[in-house]
Amino acid sequence: MADDKSEKKISKISRRELLRSAGLAGAAAFLPAGVHGLAEGEGEILPDEISTATAKQASRSALPQNLTAEETEILDAMVARLIPDDEHGPGAREAGAVGYIDRELGGALSSSREAYRAGLLALDRYSEYSREARFVALTEKDQDSVLFDLQTGGATGAGAGFLGSSAAFFNMVRGHTWEATFGDPIYGGNKDFVGWDLIRYPGPRSAVSPDDQRRLEQGELEPLRRSAYD
Amino acid sequence: MRISSLAGLIGASIALVAPSSDALGQAPQGFIVRSPTMRTGEMIPRDYAPDGRNLSPPITWESLPAGTRQIAVICQDHGAGNPPPWVHWIIYNIPGSATGLPEGVPFDPTEPMPPGIAGAVQGNNSWGLPMYRGPAPPGGSLHHYHFVVYALDTELNLPPGLDRAQLLEAIDGHVIGQGDLMPIYERIPMPEPREWQGGPLPEVWPEPEFDPFDL
Amino acid sequence: MPRRNSEADVVIVGMGAAGGVAALPLARAGLRVVGLEAGTWLDRRDFVPDEIRNNVRDWPFIVKKTQQERPTVRNNASQTASQVGGHPMMNAVGGTSIHYWAQSWRLNPWDFRVVSETVRRYGGSRIPAGSTVEDWPLDYDELEPFYDLVEREVGISGKAGNIRGELDRRGNPFEGPRAREYPMPPLRWTAFLEGMADSARSLGWNPFPGPAAINTEIYEGRPGCVYHGHCNKGGCHVDAKSATYVTTIPKALETGNLTVIPRAHVTTIEVDGDGRVTGANYVIGNDEYFQPAKVVLLAGYTYENVRMLLLSSSRAYPDGLSNNHGQVGRHYMSHHQGAGVSALFPFDLSSWYGLPAQGVAVDEWADDNFDHSNLPFIGGGNLWVYSDRRPIGAANMSTYGRGPNWGSAWKSFIRENADRSVSSYIQKTTLPYETNVLDLDPTAKDSLGLPVIRITASYRENELRIAAYLQDKMEQWYREAGAVEVSRGGLGNTMGVTTHAYGGTRMGDDMETNVVDRWGFSHEAGNLGVLGASVMGTSGARNPTLTAQALSWRTAQHLVDAWGEIAG
Repeated sequence: MADDKSEKKISKISRRELLRSAGLAGAAAFLPAGVHGLAEGEGEILPDEISTATAKQASRSALPQNLTAEETEILDAMVARLIPDDEHGPGAREAGAVGYIDRELGGALSSSREAYRAGLLALDRYSEYSREARFVALTEKDQDSVLFDLQTGGATGAGAGFLGSSAAFFNMVRGHTWEATFGDPIYGGNKDFVGWDLIRYPGPRSAVSPDDQRRLEQGELEPLRRSAYD
Repeated sequence: MRISSLAGLIGASIALVAPSSDALGQAPQGFIVRSPTMRTGEMIPRDYAPDGRNLSPPITWESLPAGTRQIAVICQDHGAGNPPPWVHWIIYNIPGSATGLPEGVPFDPTEPMPPGIAGAVQGNNSWGLPMYRGPAPPGGSLHHYHFVVYALDTELNLPPGLDRAQLLEAIDGHVIGQGDLMPIYERIPMPEPREWQGGPLPEVWPEPEFDPFDL
Repeated sequence: MPRRNSEADVVIVGMGAAGGVAALPLARAGLRVVGLEAGTWLDRRDFVPDEIRNNVRDWPFIVKKTQQERPTVRNNASQTASQVGGHPMMNAVGGTSIHYWAQSWRLNPWDFRVVSETVRRYGGSRIPAGSTVEDWPLDYDELEPFYDLVEREVGISGKAGNIRGELDRRGNPFEGPRAREYPMPPLRWTAFLEGMADSARSLGWNPFPGPAAINTEIYEGRPGCVYHGHCNKGGCHVDAKSATYVTTIPKALETGNLTVIPRAHVTTIEVDGDGRVTGANYVIGNDEYFQPAKVVLLAGYTYENVRMLLLSSSRAYPDGLSNNHGQVGRHYMSHHQGAGVSALFPFDLSSWYGLPAQGVAVDEWADDNFDHSNLPFIGGGNLWVYSDRRPIGAANMSTYGRGPNWGSAWKSFIRENADRSVSSYIQKTTLPYETNVLDLDPTAKDSLGLPVIRITASYRENELRIAAYLQDKMEQWYREAGAVEVSRGGLGNTMGVTTHAYGGTRMGDDMETNVVDRWGFSHEAGNLGVLGASVMGTSGARNPTLTAQALSWRTAQHLVDAWGEIAG
């Protein structure tokens, strides 16, 4: 038992220092995920999670990594209608949702890669069939109408090649777009905190005192615009 | 059955029996409902379905009962839904002066209604959406789409977003006339899929640059 | 041949909420205890207020072992079961107590005597047909000292409603009499929760804060809750949550009598020719071990306790350990946690920094706290309104029929309403039924090739009627508090994989209908004990963990008291 504890401590310290040497930890309030006992090759009982550090590094890359350029173009047009840039502020495109999805398709969302390939292709084929133009070439109003057809399953029976229901594809993209827009910015989405500002979320805090709560209730709590990992 | 007998009429349908009795205990009066593009028993044009632009179809009515102050319209499929019907469209608060609904009523609630039906609002269909969504019957099947137009004896200032049951409850006792149109629809199969034009897929997904599990 | 460890007095299979508690009285009594735990040690630095990691990707559950042990589910025996959804079991020292909501209720006295109390008040015909419910072999008063011990040793905050018969309406007046006040005051309320409490009072109901295994002040060297809003599916980054890996397990380690072996994946319990258990087989990676012990305490999750027994067949127990009476896997139930009610208010609720255990409870409609003479069901549910909101979840809120859930109009809706919606948690009495059972799935296997558990279960009329009745009560409460929209979930029917899984190794005096005796030891293999909610014969209308922990302590104490008799 004592052995196990000291072993754990060592692995923590070395991990911390490695992160620091990689310039990722800094004065972190919260360290990224724990990884105990990996030296012993017990990966199968550890959380098979995404690397937040990877996310942070990858977010600097502008080029698509997992989607093709054409898939990226269609997805970009789709997320821009799901949460549009309008008088209520920037939307999912501005939040970096496409970059998030593209990157995570090589990691935590890799099981969705085929659904994206098939779904984005089917979306474009369905647009050409029903509205006689590629999705990106449609007016915003027609794009919205197409997306409602996806959401309601109306696009499914057209034979455009959705894997299952068009609603399932729509809901998958919507779910990932929401993660990107409203999740922690360390994953590369929620750029400039556009998602949190939209819903008036005052930011991650390591502690909220009774006074903080009172200020929140009186609308006086200043938003903390930071990542939990900052 | 009333529905099938009406399906035999061409171009216009006349409701002979009311779905619910009005406050005076009298059966609502039938009136004529037409569409410049749809006929009872005939295929709905593709542009009013997700096989096309999925616009709301144009509808007209005439010979409304005297004293009609407001109109409400429901489009429903009695052959779908659990329980039936599956509701495709609900629109109400239509002024009694209106002679019909134009093609392509806005689905965006922030967009104003066309002048002839100013003040009209849409209720929630069976997808929970306040808009028209056209017919998409499951592969190979042919469904009937029942457009019902209610003539009301009062101006109800109903909020948007009512579902069918809420609307029927709200207009109960105020229905002085009713007309129907019941065209049909069957999905139009899409031509064989073409090859994907989006360029080659990568052979191998790139490895992450930094793997914390290596620590 | 597996490597053979030196013999322990007691081996505990699973160092979670139940096993982690039982270790303490055993170690304090000087018994040499080995705790086998499939997961690893984690600590507070492993927990991040990151909604994508915790809630979207279910960080606590995604270890492969857990995922590969997901039970299969079906409504009834005519269907083929399939693995749907996740598995809320956490493999780590401290187990699921690391990330649980930490609501730490005592059961009400009625829950121990459902049959006799129902017969006494309404006549026997009121027990629903097909139900296998029995009175517990002990009553509330007999468990009370162990509730009291656990509340102190684990660290529970709350407000008492009945101290030795003296009622205090700041707490739950329907609870059984307790020896003394909670060791810590309850979690604070937000202004919205205060408002909900006022509304309950104006309906003539008695609102009170729920009990939680969460510190509200410095307790045994651990700080109070800092309300950061990521408690749900998150471990605590300041150790304010009283998970066993920061409470009873370290205390037991301090005695020097407990050894925890992490990453030990137990495969079977070993049995000798006389039908007594001799220890546990486990693997770490590709290495096989055998841990001999005089007594084995099975302390996995309900599904895993049942699975371990069914997998441990032997000459003495051909149908699975302790299953010669065919009772292993029977009397399974889970709370009917569906049929929720949510509400939209015309003002901000300021819920961003809450937690599921921070809330207002109403117990008027739970158990037999109200007259059922003219109602078509027995039992009821506890109404719970709580603060728990994070950005992605909030942005995914229902639009309450007010338009699409995306697009420009939605942006305008969510800007206004992201912090104005609240859901409730209504835990409802669920009874055991003859045909609601756990067994081994004929096809689905885990990573070692061992069959996973198959759940065959559905809610019945009694449960669905309770659900509908309580939705009315909940809506009434929300409307009283000024809700502008109220939305109800469906009543549901499938009893899927759940955090509240009861039965399968039920406790009772009759060995024809129960697996373990009144002390938690097998009727058939006398030196095998079972810990956890799998021994509970009724669900109550509230979270099971504290009761499972009190029963575990009691079983451990009995083992100490009757060591010679049990260990042989």
